[in-house]
Amino acid sequence: MDRLGARAAASDGDVVRAVLAGDAERYAELVSRYRDRYARYAARMLGSPDAAEDAVQDAFIRAYDQLAQCRDPENFAGWFFLILRNRCFAERRRSKREAVADVSQDDLPGPGRADRDAEQSETQELLARGVSELTAEQREVFVLKHVEGKSYEEIAKVTGATVASLKMRMHRAYDRLRNYLKERT
Amino acid sequence: MREFHPLIKRWLDGELSADQLGAELAAELAEARALLAAVDRSPVAFDPKLDQRVMAAVRNRPATRWGRAVRWIGEAHELRLRVRPWAVAALAAAATLVLMFAPARQSRAPVAVAQAPESVYVKFMLYAPGAHQVSVAGTFNGWDAHATPLAPAGASGVWAATLSLPAGQHLYSFVVDGRRWVADPTAPGVDDGFGRRNSILAVTPRGARVS
Repeated sequence: MDRLGARAAASDGDVVRAVLAGDAERYAELVSRYRDRYARYAARMLGSPDAAEDAVQDAFIRAYDQLAQCRDPENFAGWFFLILRNRCFAERRRSKREAVADVSQDDLPGPGRADRDAEQSETQELLARGVSELTAEQREVFVLKHVEGKSYEEIAKVTGATVASLKMRMHRAYDRLRNYLKERT
Repeated sequence: MREFHPLIKRWLDGELSADQLGAELAAELAEARALLAAVDRSPVAFDPKLDQRVMAAVRNRPATRWGRAVRWIGEAHELRLRVRPWAVAALAAAATLVLMFAPARQSRAPVAVAQAPESVYVKFMLYAPGAHQVSVAGTFNGWDAHATPLAPAGASGVWAATLSLPAGQHLYSFVVDGRRWVADPTAPGVDDGFGRRNSILAVTPRGARVS
């Protein structure tokens, strides 16, 4: 197997250990591997693809700085997710302090929007606005379950919350979204 | 707030199928369906140069934790300090003391200068940011809270006034905004008999000292 092939097959743990041993260039493999995996999560959490891109970039740099603290290198993805998650929550708190987030239509993610039925697109944008007004915790569980398609058990694993508390957040989110849509349609 | 029926929430969670719901929930089910149908699951694409930007930043970072710490120290960081004005007044009082002691050393800033054999100029200073009015009251002005106002030194928060005081021991206190009596926290004080403390200042022909 050539060097490139060996790299392609390298596990996250192998790459993390190589980077920690001084081969910083190999960190690019982890960036390439995970840059898109959490793009949608970050975009829905922050309400804008641009903000999400900044958050993901910043999270990768922080992860590099703290790589020695990654206790399970094979689970780099889960560890990186926690860094990104903290970054998203911090950004939410910061933007909440500075101003109520104005999620304009231009900010809303949605490639291919022009191809969709106009009414459906409108409802989709309305729901996106409703989601942006949920608490960060409610928004996260909604995004992970209904956008990322994860089960409550999977969400509990990555967030550290219990399934019961996740369901409680989600059920409150359902009610808030229902009212949000009702009031605006 | 109109809440979804618990069974509708379980349907939204994927725990029940639609045929497990009664006909009376049909309208709510339609709402719930519309909600899920409006969820945008389209992928989000980042700028292809994201990887390059991350790696450019990574290459510029020191390899070791110690190196990063040294770099961090050298970088500019935003620090947020919560300042309690009345606690900070102690710093101004300390500055006042320095100025009052200065004449004793003669060669330094002569804040207290002999005016006549038996009187000396003494500069009172108080750091009181946010105050609208500051004065000093004491035995030298009959404890009149309005007789001796201090002037603000620009926007620094420092208030100052220079008085000619006769030799002898004086008691004094600052008065902020006409109602708050603030003793000089670094000067010795005595109880005024009304639950407050007054500061003590000794004036001699050679200068002024807190005593």
